[in-house]
Amino acid sequence: MVKTDVLVIGGGPAGLAAAISAKKEGADVILVEREARLGGILKQCIHDGFGLVRYGEKLSGPEYAERFIGEFLELKIKAKLLTFVTSIEKNDKGFKAALVSKEGIEEVQTKSLILATGCRERTSKQVFIHGTRPAGIFTAGTAQHFTNLLGQLPTKRCVILGSGDIGLIMARRLTLEGAKVLGVYEVKPTPSGLTRNIHQCLYDFDIPLYLSHTVTRVFGDDRLTAVEVVKVDEKMQVISGTEEIVECDALILSVGLIPENEIAEDLDVEIDPKTKGPKCDTHLMTSVPGIFSCGNALHVSDLVDYVSESGETAGKYAAHFALQFQDADNKNISSYTGVLGDGKLVDIEIGDNILYFVPQSLNLETDLSSVIVYFRSKDVFDNSKLKIKVDGKVVFEKKYAFLRPPEMEKLKLDFASFGITDKSLILAEVEVGVSE
Amino acid sequence: MDSWSDIVDVCSSVAIHGSHIHVVNDIKFTGDKIPPMRIPSLSDETLSGKTPDVLIIGGGISGCAIARELTKWNLSVMLLEKEADFALGASGSNDGEVHVGFDLSKGSLKQKYVLLGNKIFDQITDELDVPFKRIGQYAAFTQSWLFIPICLLALWRRFYDGVWDTRIVTRKKLLKKNSTFSKKMKFAVYNSSAGVVCPYGLTIAYAENAAENGAELYLNTAVLDMETDKDGNITSVTTNRGKVYPKVVINAAGVFADDVAEMAKDRFYSIYPRRGTNSIQDKKAAKNIDTIASVQYINKAMFKKGHTKGGGLMRTVHDNVLAGPDAVETYKKEDTSTNAESIKTVYDKQKGTVPANSERDIITYFTGVRAPTFEEDFIIEWGRKCPNMIHCSGIQSPGLTAAPAFAFDIEKMVVEKLNPEKNKNFNPRRQGVPSLKNMDLEKRAEMIKKNPDYGIIICRCEEISKGEIIDALNRPLCPPTVDAIKRRVRPGMGRCQGGFCSPLVMQIIAEERGLKLSDVKKASTEAVVLYGETKGGALHG
Amino acid sequence: MNKEIVCITCPRGCIMKVTQEKDDLGKISFQVTGNFCKKGETFAINELTSPMRTICSTVKTDFKDVPVLPCRVSADIPKDKIFDVMAEINKVVITEKIKRNDIIIKNVLGLGVDVICTSDMLN
Repeated sequence: MVKTDVLVIGGGPAGLAAAISAKKEGADVILVEREARLGGILKQCIHDGFGLVRYGEKLSGPEYAERFIGEFLELKIKAKLLTFVTSIEKNDKGFKAALVSKEGIEEVQTKSLILATGCRERTSKQVFIHGTRPAGIFTAGTAQHFTNLLGQLPTKRCVILGSGDIGLIMARRLTLEGAKVLGVYEVKPTPSGLTRNIHQCLYDFDIPLYLSHTVTRVFGDDRLTAVEVVKVDEKMQVISGTEEIVECDALILSVGLIPENEIAEDLDVEIDPKTKGPKCDTHLMTSVPGIFSCGNALHVSDLVDYVSESGETAGKYAAHFALQFQDADNKNISSYTGVLGDGKLVDIEIGDNILYFVPQSLNLETDLSSVIVYFRSKDVFDNSKLKIKVDGKVVFEKKYAFLRPPEMEKLKLDFASFGITDKSLILAEVEVGVSE
Repeated sequence: MDSWSDIVDVCSSVAIHGSHIHVVNDIKFTGDKIPPMRIPSLSDETLSGKTPDVLIIGGGISGCAIARELTKWNLSVMLLEKEADFALGASGSNDGEVHVGFDLSKGSLKQKYVLLGNKIFDQITDELDVPFKRIGQYAAFTQSWLFIPICLLALWRRFYDGVWDTRIVTRKKLLKKNSTFSKKMKFAVYNSSAGVVCPYGLTIAYAENAAENGAELYLNTAVLDMETDKDGNITSVTTNRGKVYPKVVINAAGVFADDVAEMAKDRFYSIYPRRGTNSIQDKKAAKNIDTIASVQYINKAMFKKGHTKGGGLMRTVHDNVLAGPDAVETYKKEDTSTNAESIKTVYDKQKGTVPANSERDIITYFTGVRAPTFEEDFIIEWGRKCPNMIHCSGIQSPGLTAAPAFAFDIEKMVVEKLNPEKNKNFNPRRQGVPSLKNMDLEKRAEMIKKNPDYGIIICRCEEISKGEIIDALNRPLCPPTVDAIKRRVRPGMGRCQGGFCSPLVMQIIAEERGLKLSDVKKASTEAVVLYGETKGGALHG
Repeated sequence: MNKEIVCITCPRGCIMKVTQEKDDLGKISFQVTGNFCKKGETFAINELTSPMRTICSTVKTDFKDVPVLPCRVSADIPKDKIFDVMAEINKVVITEKIKRNDIIIKNVLGLGVDVICTSDMLN
């Protein structure tokens, strides 16, 4: 049995940052990655725009990932590649994971666990597209894999459903490779992706964006031959009579990402229904002491810079958690009292116009003077105001000229100055229609 | 007539259930063009001049089971399937339930074979190395006044019809054992011998075992025409791959059974196709149900003959939850497209079974087209005007349960006619692809040591290794398609529906079979996934 | 002349107004409003005079495990040259193990920028 302080699951941007930060805190770290190479989804994100916040540079996905991989290798962190976690169980020394690889089965005993498992894409059936079952229905990420990693063209003439960033990026990418993108259809009245991507990926190439439209059916017995598009009303219900058949050879879907938390759920980690990721405190520790979450598994981020940032937070505190038990190898971890992560938790409730708020709770035993929080608004708002209230009293507010759900907002807050006790009711809300 | 449902009503009203006099529908349907049978694009002379003893038309559960049983004899057995894989019709797109026959009365072929089939399922699935679980079935009732009549019916079924395991479970016991069931249930009929199997898995296993024992099975091969002599005997069968001259022909053509009968000038029944849609839910939903369950209302299932609507909920053999099927008549025999109404119908009803079960957990759905006759019974007999054809027609639910049993009887019919010798080399045992994730860690480690590919996980949702995918490709008759691999070892069956693994699976298929990546197809030979290389490829001439 | 331009320099995506003015001597100047930073102003003026874009793509290789290698232009190129540069990128086949930042096409189409490799994945 291999022993370690911190076991990181996932070798994408979150896992790499987490492993590096845990190692720098002095912990023994093992990272498990199921693919043959580190970097996660960034390997196929060959477009630029990564690292603006962190490095002030416009890097491509591989370039951004390789900066972290370089540091990871320099620190000589142990990585297990082409290795899959088949089960994890909690025990009195932390967690025991069973790993499967070409070498066989290996069991690892760790004191803390970082889940950096990323997210997966919603599929055509999850948005209830009906019709036949032809070839030619791809999620944007799968189309990206074929195009950017395998150099294969998945379509010559396609329709894209969903204006999420990956869909927009793929519209441009496929156009550059010679395919015709007939249009991007978005069921909502506003785009899901970043404004700059609407401009540089669609408008630059004269690709139309159809808002309040969706795809309802696909046709074709072997390869897809056409899709049916319809207009929808403000409740996103199909307006009958607006059906139109668009002939194409592929439907590419960019209809949302779902954090991957099957391992977390198996370990009884509490999941926030809003983020679909684990409910965490400011150290990004989940409801199960010793299990930390970061990156897109925690909540789907729009920028990789924030993914790395959450990885660093999770890595640092996972190391602190583990290092408390440095000489406790033969003792029962769960019998320790007063350990980090054992303090009083106060939840942050979310009020009007907020889609979600991370972290979801504050641990009053920890330093709360400089806490990074992320939130998304429920809708597109001009001139609005974020308010944090403690027991009904506004303790913090900030004005925003625009809030858009696709764009995550990040803040650093001094919760220590808000006079919070374990009885406090903390509320985050957005007030709209604030005069300038 | 321009309404298909009117035609169905007319034919059904004159049909006598269980009768040997069948309704042949010759009413001209004017409402729409009935689409012609899809024919594979393949065209060669591979089969030209072959003279099999037995030619089986159709690679569904019936045809494949019959082929396998016939290989016990020194007979040349040829099976033709027009699709790119086995079980692509109703055999592959049903709920996989192994029925007990509680809804059937003595006297029909369905009832006879479902009882026999259910009994031999353990043996068959053991021989063919196919997972099978007897998880029991509850048919629950919400109307208390039905208690006495249903008790009487249950007694009758148990002691007269031979459904030996029929029991009545009271509300208290029912809800104690199944805490997620609707509190509105008053009592239930329980049959412990009901089970679940993977329907295409079983069909493919039969096909593989038949091939291992010497049968010749051809995919992408359609029967186009037949010639008969003055006595009505079939003398030749024309296919897209040449003309063959069989001694005996078995019509196991599913929805096209009446068309095949017509080719043999022996059409004495009509198939009226009936669609059924099933939904598959994420494994997470399996916490809500570990059995087969449905709610029954009076006038629907029990007393009205014919088919039920709305289906039930079940834990599948692979531990997903399945909801369905519904039942909708259609004139399109190959219309397996899905629609929203079918799914809504099923879920509206199934809220009454397990209220917590939700369509939000759906990961996929599919439609199959059943092949009933207007009499709603199986037809298993020699041709009436064509003496060398056996009809195995009208096979609809519970066809999957019944097929292993009626395959034995059809075997006997052929043996009586052709008097063959026993095949001394027949091996009833098939070795399926090992399922690594279901092994204990020690056994799994041992397997990986023997073949390191078993340690490389390709499909993370279903935990399928590269080794298992290569094994599937090396089984007999495995087409080099993404769907063929998916149906054999399940990569892509999980919650991401192949989003992550399909590029990897395609690479493995290409590598193992020496194909270009763009030559690896999805389901059929025309189901192109990739158009070739981006650079200097498809669009850059 | 008035034009609304969305800045694509960073994810903020500022919506800017550009006013083009000609003075008495015929000299053209621009007024940019709505930009959050200086980069926005530069971008907006460029958009009206000579719009520039970057390209990220892949080049074909001879290596079985890495059939294509990611690349990009080392600096922005004129927007109307995008497909011409893509045609050049599509002609290349990498036969040696190159590294990140290695030049794949020097001074592509004489535009003064190179096409460079953006990954170490061949190593």
